[in-house]
This record gives sequence, structure tokens and C-alpha cells, in this order.
Amino acid sequence: MQLGDFTYHRPKSLPEALALSARLGAGAMYLAGGTEAIPEMKRGRERPEHLISLRDLPELRGIRETDGRLEIGAMTSHGEVADSPLVRRWAPVLAEAAGSVGSAQIRRQGTIGGNFCGAVPCADTPPAAVVSGATLRLLGPKGARETAAETFFLGPRQNALEIDEVLAAILVPPPPAGSGAAYERFGLRKGMAVAVAAVAARLVVDGGAVREARVALGAVAPVPLRAARAEAALTGGVADGETFARAATEAAAECRPISDIRGSIGYRRELVRVLTLRALLAAARRAEGSRA
Amino acid sequence: MSGEVLLHLEVNGEPRSVAAKPNATLLFVLRELLGLTGTKEGCGTGDCGACTVLLDGQPVNACLVLAADVEGRRVLTIEGLAKDGELHALQKSFVKHGALQCGFCTPGMIMASKGLLDRNPEPSDAEIRGALAGNLCRCAAYPRIVKALRDWRSFENVPLDTLPHDPSERDQQRDLAVVSHAVTRYDAPDKVCGRAKYTADLRLPGMLWGKILGSPIAHGLVKRIDVSRARALAGVVDVLTGADVPDILYGVSPARYDEHVLAKDRVRYVGDEVAAVVAVDEETATRALALIEVEYEELPAVFDGEEAMKEGAPLVHPENPRYANNVNTRVEWHFGDVEQGFADSALVLSERFVGNRTYQSPIEPHAALARFEHHGGKLTVWSSTQVPHYVQHMMARVLSMPMGQIRVIKPAVGGGFGVKAETTPLEFCAAIFAKRTGRPVMMRYTREEMVRHFRGRHRQIMDLELGVKADGRISAVRSRIVLEGGAYTSFGVITAYYAGSMLPTLYHMPNYRYDGYRVYTNLPACGAFRGHGVPQPRFAFESLLDMAAEKLGLDPVEIRMRNAMDANTRTPSGLDIASCEFKETLRRAREVSGWAEKKGKLPKGRGIGIGCGGFVSGAGYPIYRSDFPHSNAIIRVHEDGRAVSLHIAAADIGQGSDTVLVQIAAEELGIPYERVWLVDCDSVLAPLDLGSYSSRVTLMGGNAVKMAAADAKSRVLKAAAKRLGLDASALSARNGRIFVAEHPAVAMDWDEAARLAFSADGPVVGRGWYSPPKGLGGDFKGGTVGTSPAYSFSTAVAEVTVDLGTGAVTVDRVTDFSDGGTVINPVAFHSQVEGSMIMGLGETLMEDTVASPNGNLANPNLHDYLIPTIADAPEIHSAAVESFEPRGPFGAKEVGEGSLLPIIGAIANAVYDATGVRVKELPITPEKILAGLRARREVAK
Repeated sequence: MQLGDFTYHRPKSLPEALALSARLGAGAMYLAGGTEAIPEMKRGRERPEHLISLRDLPELRGIRETDGRLEIGAMTSHGEVADSPLVRRWAPVLAEAAGSVGSAQIRRQGTIGGNFCGAVPCADTPPAAVVSGATLRLLGPKGARETAAETFFLGPRQNALEIDEVLAAILVPPPPAGSGAAYERFGLRKGMAVAVAAVAARLVVDGGAVREARVALGAVAPVPLRAARAEAALTGGVADGETFARAATEAAAECRPISDIRGSIGYRRELVRVLTLRALLAAARRAEGSRA
Repeated sequence: MSGEVLLHLEVNGEPRSVAAKPNATLLFVLRELLGLTGTKEGCGTGDCGACTVLLDGQPVNACLVLAADVEGRRVLTIEGLAKDGELHALQKSFVKHGALQCGFCTPGMIMASKGLLDRNPEPSDAEIRGALAGNLCRCAAYPRIVKALRDWRSFENVPLDTLPHDPSERDQQRDLAVVSHAVTRYDAPDKVCGRAKYTADLRLPGMLWGKILGSPIAHGLVKRIDVSRARALAGVVDVLTGADVPDILYGVSPARYDEHVLAKDRVRYVGDEVAAVVAVDEETATRALALIEVEYEELPAVFDGEEAMKEGAPLVHPENPRYANNVNTRVEWHFGDVEQGFADSALVLSERFVGNRTYQSPIEPHAALARFEHHGGKLTVWSSTQVPHYVQHMMARVLSMPMGQIRVIKPAVGGGFGVKAETTPLEFCAAIFAKRTGRPVMMRYTREEMVRHFRGRHRQIMDLELGVKADGRISAVRSRIVLEGGAYTSFGVITAYYAGSMLPTLYHMPNYRYDGYRVYTNLPACGAFRGHGVPQPRFAFESLLDMAAEKLGLDPVEIRMRNAMDANTRTPSGLDIASCEFKETLRRAREVSGWAEKKGKLPKGRGIGIGCGGFVSGAGYPIYRSDFPHSNAIIRVHEDGRAVSLHIAAADIGQGSDTVLVQIAAEELGIPYERVWLVDCDSVLAPLDLGSYSSRVTLMGGNAVKMAAADAKSRVLKAAAKRLGLDASALSARNGRIFVAEHPAVAMDWDEAARLAFSADGPVVGRGWYSPPKGLGGDFKGGTVGTSPAYSFSTAVAEVTVDLGTGAVTVDRVTDFSDGGTVINPVAFHSQVEGSMIMGLGETLMEDTVASPNGNLANPNLHDYLIPTIADAPEIHSAAVESFEPRGPFGAKEVGEGSLLPIIGAIANAVYDATGVRVKELPITPEKILAGLRARREVAK
């Protein structure tokens, strides 16, 4: 398959990248790992005139603790996120989600930033980031701003980046005491299959009661969806199967899936119910374990 | 930068500099600029993993990496793995475990494995599966790949040729020196090094690249084509439209030739080929396609087979009145008295089953290279074909050339499974361009183009009626099948007959009626796919048999046992079954799978099921009428007697038939396996062979080779007899020695005798040929389809776990016993079975080519059309039940296709056992299972 023509840029610094992007305008596209962008360009669905490779910008790479938060550079690969002891300590659910992306090759090449900026509804890491309370650092010519992960997505393949901005990092706050989280996804085969439905859940459990609940759904709405009604059904309730089942039913009702070759609306709702229940049960187990 | 830039990178430890455009991928740089064609392109979108290389030590898909992004980095490809002429331990492990078949995915698989082992030298099976799930292998060597990674370290510092063969691979001890031994695949060392050349890896000086434009609409008339802008593009050398190609129809079945190389006036499916461009490179040719302007008059289209048969439906081939109501082929078979059979039945079941439009999905896309010699007007075509002879025959027809002036060479082929069993517009256009431009022309399909061209499995709508006696014996079967054929005939006539012919070979069926309708639609043409027409009726029948057993209170194994075919039987449909160990496969599968302890006793969500199958060992008649022998071989003994060359054009497409033929030659000649050179599959170097289809090579090619070897050996023995002063009939040959069986001390070296023979009589050459027995089959229309010298039989037992929440099916274990006659090569035999089980798992659970309402395919790629990964592969226990087939070489039959047939029914029956849900429409998706569970709950309320 053939890529069209474009001009290739490889800035050596972040300011240089931002200046280039500002100068080139709408015809320019950032290139991160390329695992999503290159196939889209080969299919002719993306036709950038300029590609700005982010490869040489060390400030976008790496995983570190800064100012009481975990900072994951946008150019960090899924594999690095999945394998990182830091991520596993701060947000194991994010490591779990990153480890479920594509194949080993895609995980080595693709980046977490690309997973966000591509904004495909079935992306794995966004729901996990959403329940982890992550924020995104966006850099532009006027400086940096932060946005909650869940407000970053505007629709399929649409994100909140201004034309002259770049996603710099994903910032994860420390997990609350007594919390546990889980990511459950369903694909149509056992290896390398995009999610037909996915659920990330985080519970803070105290004395057998749910103090706080976050549920985010993937692949069943135009954007990673906070399941507000499910969360309401959980908060303050007893952390047991009955509560979780009620919440799962709510999540199934409030998701907004489409029918496509991977599954019908009805099937996806049922998957959301089943996966939400499973994610909540696993999250509760882990919450319990976190106190032990 | 937008022009070419100079890149510096380290490739396989060496500094390399190349000038590349910004849009060049790492894959392009490796293959086209550095000539490292060991790295393969299977999809171009990161879905198959064939292009996996290590970038700074990490596995990546080279097709997704921009070369410009690799500046200053370190790349390791398959060519860089062997050191100082010695294979890497991992490569040796792949060779010794038989962890490859066609070898096309192998370089990527090995590099992905290397990426894992560098980080984790002793991975668990789960880690292996996780790390390699992005490397698709359609031959499904997965179980052996896991083994190869488990003990790769035991191959460190061990020379390849001194490694012992795995003794566990021997099915049966017999007094043979080469046959039935698990010898190393003939082509394995080249394939694990990336040295094996596939068609798209070939390069000739001055070579041009061609591309074909497909129709964007499903049905219409071509009103105008303007190629002027395409011609004007710099780098374009020539353009073809329907007006430039011969007005000669072609196809597969002579009775139904209905294709032009490029559409003359009508397009019949999305992708139907309308024009072609040849240019200095593939990129330019691809760009030029977008500059061709085609004006269509769009016509109503029809996509459903049953709709297509209705009065007033749009006609796909209105030019030919014989295809009224779009019926391309009609089969009417009536054996025995079906009405009486049903009247005599204690139980009659009638059910509709529907199949799926599965695609063969070999990892190698089709490719063709053509060169025209203007002196003497000779044409050479290299093609990724499984039927070089039929390509030669069909090109001679369409190009109006004598067949002998056309040379067809089959390089290594990266899997076929039927999709490469016919001539495509690639070969024709490449040849026409080569003649018009005077330059060699390479053409290949992208993944998407090959799926659009299709020739996959027909979706069959099957109405089956089964009548059984109270004891479970089959009394009558009525089958009405509508095969959705797509826009052209392809193999469809034969498919329609096969869909009916193979049911009565497995079970005694005294009364049988079959009504087949192969119907045109405006979807891509369907063709021959492993098991040709039979897997879906087999699934339907095996399901129905289980339904009958349940109603009668019979065990599913027992009902099969009561109906199972016996040796030396003529079926009512006129097919002659000679060797048959079907019942023994049933008994062994029942015993080894633990059937009695499991059937009906597993917890909810777990189930066990049985399915059976069988197939021809080569079609009894060629595709076009001819009296030529089907397989032919020449053996030439080299002058020093230390080696022989085997000249045969049987087309190994990955199944390992070359290895099997070399074994047969060595055994019959009485020399070691290593002394045989296999000559390339080339119509100039070897005589006619019909190729790899209908599971014919082992039996037919094997017989020809055995005869040629016996002929050559007789000349060597004659010389030996003269020297020893004995009669040649007193001599035997084995392992390079010639001796008197009763007095082994009276002996001489084989090579010495061969030198004497050459000195006395000139070149020592043996000739062999094989034609199936004359007069096979019943004397009725279509009675020739399904005929064969011999039939295979097999039983598979599948054990599954169904996730009752999501409906997902995990196939935990498969136990298969196959009667393929004598096993010539145990590794090849079990590899075929294992590959079939995994491919069949995909066909049962996940595969279907889906068309949008406008006829455009929704999933013409490996991202949306899912095939099994290594993580989906079950534990497989494969074993042979060897019959001795009198018509086969050393008693051998087939295994490659018959092995696919039992598994679909076995999994379907296991899913039913686990859930109580009987899914009658393939694939058995999780969604259908959940719907079935819901329906059952509602009934229970």
C-alpha cells in the first residue's frame, strides 16, 4: 500500500515543533508512533501535506513522578507504559489497558499520546486514564494547559487540541486510599483484536461501602464515556454483587453504541453489562487487597 | 524535506546509506532499496506482522515505520540472524520443530520471537502467545512455533545436520529408510533465513511495475474510459483498458468461461478489473490509477443468492441466455428412492443451515512477473500460483500462443488454500504489458485488492432433510443447496457438484437426492477453498446427525459408527472407496479424547463435540478435457552417482509436498534423502503436473515420482548386476547401497553402480507418470466430480469453554485421528492437520466476508476480517490411523483438505453441548450464542 506525498519535518526541540505546527497550519499533522496514522494515510483517509515527527523530542518521553503526580510523556510506548513499575504502582489499570493494545509490535511502536490523539472510540488507554482521574497536559504557543482526560474527546477522531497544540503528557494523581481499579475488554479473538466493548472501573471502598466510583466505557459511544448513572448507583452503596449488578444494568442503559460488523447495539449493551459487573467485582477485590 | 533525503542507518550490523523519499517506509527501504526481501509485506497496515524487524532491539512492523524516522537507528532483519554461515539457534529450532509451512510469515515470526527472547530467554507459553499474537500464520504452524520457542536454547552450538529427528513424530515403524521418517523440510533452511524467494521478491533489470484499477460500483456499463491523464503522468509507460485485451473469455471450467482480462463493457462487482497501468515503479502506477476517468451507467445489482433466483432480479450475465434467473450451475442428483427412504424412517429432521463467505487469506498476496523474449516470441511468467500448468494453459488460450512457448515458473508460494488455483488478471496484464513494452513487468495485489478479487468460499444456503431408522441408520437424505457464487463462474461448477458429492462418501446413504443451484450475484466471484464446497454441507450434516442422535437417545459417536463407510464400497453415487479406516478413527478419537467421561458430564459452559470428514486424494479428471497423465516426473542420476535431480512441476505452496516427493524418490531409488536435488517448479525444467489442488500431490505426484525412481533405479541395478555377475532382479537398494537381500555381504555402493551405468549407456534417466484409473464415476451428469483414486477419512473431537456472559468460545482441545493412508512425513502430516484445525476454528467462530448494502466489502483486510492468532490456537492431539491405500505410493492418500472437514461440525456440536444453543448459521459468533441463550431463557419462562 502506498503513502501519498508529504513534506517531512523532524524538529529537534519542542518550541521548534510548536513553531512549525503554527506556521504550517491545518495541512500539518504530528506523527507519533505511526501505528494509527500510517494506515490511515495509506487508506487515504488522512492526507497531510506536512508530517511533523515527534521522535526527537525527549521532553515528550518517559515516565516519572513529578509534583506528587505520575507523568507519562505522550511519546511513551504502550509497552513501556505496560511494563513500567511506576505505572503499575500508581495506576495499574492503565498498565493493564496499555498491555491490551494491539500486538507486541504495535505496543512497542505505538504511543499512549497517539492513542489519545487518534481519539478512536475503541482506544484502550483512555477509559483507564479517565477512571484514574488523569489529566492531559497540552502545550501550545501560549504555554501549557491541562484538561481532564474525559473532556479531551469530542467525537470519533476528534479531540480538544487546538490546531497549534500538542499533547505533551498524561498526568495521573495518586490513587486514593482503599481504591482498586480494573479494565475489562472484549475482542472477537484472543490476540490482537480491537475492543467491541470495554469497561474501566475504579472503586474506593471503605468499611464495605463504596465511597467513590468511576466507570468509563470504551467502544460504545462516540467518546470514552463516563457512566454517570452507574456511578450514582454505586456511590454510597454496599460493595457487593447486587449493587454492582444494578450499576452494570445502568451502564448498559446509558451507553450509546452503534451497530457494525463487530457487534450490534443490543450485543454491545449486553457486553457493557457483563464487563461492568466483572470490572466492578475485580476493582472491589483489588480495593480490598489495597487495605490488607 | 519533500525530495529524496539521504538516510544513514545500521542494518544487520552494517552501516548503510540510502536516498529515500519521505513517504518511504522502512519496509520499502529494506526490500526495494537494500534488496533485503526476507522481510515480507502481507498487509501494509500492521495487521499481519510479516514485516516484523527489530528496531533498536524492539519488534516493529516495518510497514508502519517511516524510513525518515529511522535515521541513525539500528535495524535487524531476518538476513542478519544467521552468523558466519551458521543458523541462529532459534532458526534451527524452527527447522527442527517444523514450525513453518509456506514460510511467508516465518521471517516476521522469527524476528518477533527474537524480540521476545532477547528480553525473556525462557518465556512461558502464555508469554509466547502474547508476544506473537501480532504475527499471523495462515498455515497455522502455531503449536510448533510454541514448541520452537520453548526449547530453542537446546539448539545453541549444535550443527543443524547432526541434530536427531524427534522420534515422537513417527507414527508407525515400518521397514522403510526414508518414507515415514520425520525428515527436515526440504525448503525449511532457506525459509528461516529469508533466502527463499517468493514472486514479489524477484527483480529483473529494467523491470516495470503494474497496477489494476477496480470498479467502484457493483453493477454497471462502462460508457467511457479516458486514460490520457494517466498516460501523461511522468513515469507511466503504458495503459490497458478492456479494448486492449483479447476478446477471448477465460475462466476455470471450460463449460463456463465468462471472464475477460479487463472488463469489456460491463462491471459486475466492486473491484471488477477495468484498466491497468504500468510504470517505472509501483508508486507511480498506483498514482496513475487515480487519473483514469471511467464513466459508468450504474445498473441495479443483486447480492443475495435466493433474491438473485427470483423472476425479475437483475441479471449478472444478461449476455448469455443460458444463465436465466442467474442460475450459473444446476445440479440434480437422485440416487435410490428418497421418498421411500423417508417413508421408512423412524425420524425425519429438516433444517436450514447457512454458511459463511470465508476467504483463504494466505499471508502472501498474489503476484506475477512476466518477461517477453522478442526473439522467438517466448513468454516467461513467474507466478504465486498453485497451478502452474493451468496458468500456462489459460495464458496460451487468451494470448493465442502455443502452450510450449509459455514458460511458467512457480517460486516459493506463501500459502494458497485454493485462492491461487486460477489465472488472474495479474498474470495476463503483466504478460500483455511485457510484450507491449519489451520490459519485464511485476504486478501484485495489495491485501485489499486480493480480497476484492476474492475466489473465497461460497456462502451456501443449505436445506437438509435427514431420515433415520430407529437404530440410527440413515435411510434417506435430501439436500437442496443454493451456492452464492458472485459475479463469475471461477471453480463454481465444480463447487456445486462437490457440495453434493462428498456427503455419501462418509456414511452409507442408500437414498440420496441433491439439488444444487450455483447462483450469480454482484459480489466478488467465489472459487475453490480447502475442502472445496464440502465444509459447509459437512457442518450442516454433522450438526443434523447430532440432532438426530439426541432425539433417538443415541450417543453421537455411536450414530456415526452405525453409518460409517467401510472399505471396498461403491457408493450409490458411483464412487469407489478402497481403503477406509473411518471406524477406527471414530474409536480412537472416542478413546483418546475421554469422550465417555466427558460427554454430557461437563459443567455448564463446557462442552465436547464430534465431527467427521473425508476428501478426495486428487480429482479423478482434469479441469479441462485431456488424455495427458496428471503427474509426470523425470529423475536424472548425476554423473558421479552421488546425487539425483528430481524434475517435477508439482506445486508446493507450503504444504510440504516437495519434501514428500523427495522422500518418495529417495526411498524408491535406495539413496539417502540428502542426495536428492529438487529442481525448481518450472515448465521448462519439468514435465506437466496439474498442480496443488484437490489434495492430489502426494498420491498422483508421488506415484509419478515412484515410477520415475524405479525406472532410474533399474538402470543402476542393471549395471550393478553386470558387475556382480548376478541377475538384476536379485538386487535391492537402500541408503546408498546395492545388495542381495538374502546375502547382504554381496553388495556395492549405489554411486559406483550409477557411474557404471552412465559409462555404459549415457545419461541415467528415469521417467514416471500417473493417470487416475479410467472410467471412474457414475454414468450421469456430473458423475465425474468427486471421483478419485482414494478417499481420506477423519474424526475430530473438540472441547470448548463458552463464556456464558459474553458468548465467547474458547476451543480448549482438539483430538483428531485421520486416515490419510501411509504417512510419508509425520511432521508434514500433523502440520496439515493442526493447520486445518486452527483454520477450521476460524471459519467456525470468527470468519466472514461482509458486504455493505451497495456490494462493497466491509472488511477486505486483516484488521476487520479476523483469522486465528497463536493465542486462539487450541491444544491439538493429532494422530494417524494408517490404512494402506493400494493406489497410493507406499499406501499413501491425502490429508491436506479432508482434515479441515470434521472440525466445524465438532466445534458446533461442542458449543451445543456446552450451552444448549444450536447455531445453524456460520460463523458461530459470541453474539449468536448469547442470542440463543436468551431465547432459551425466554422459552423456559
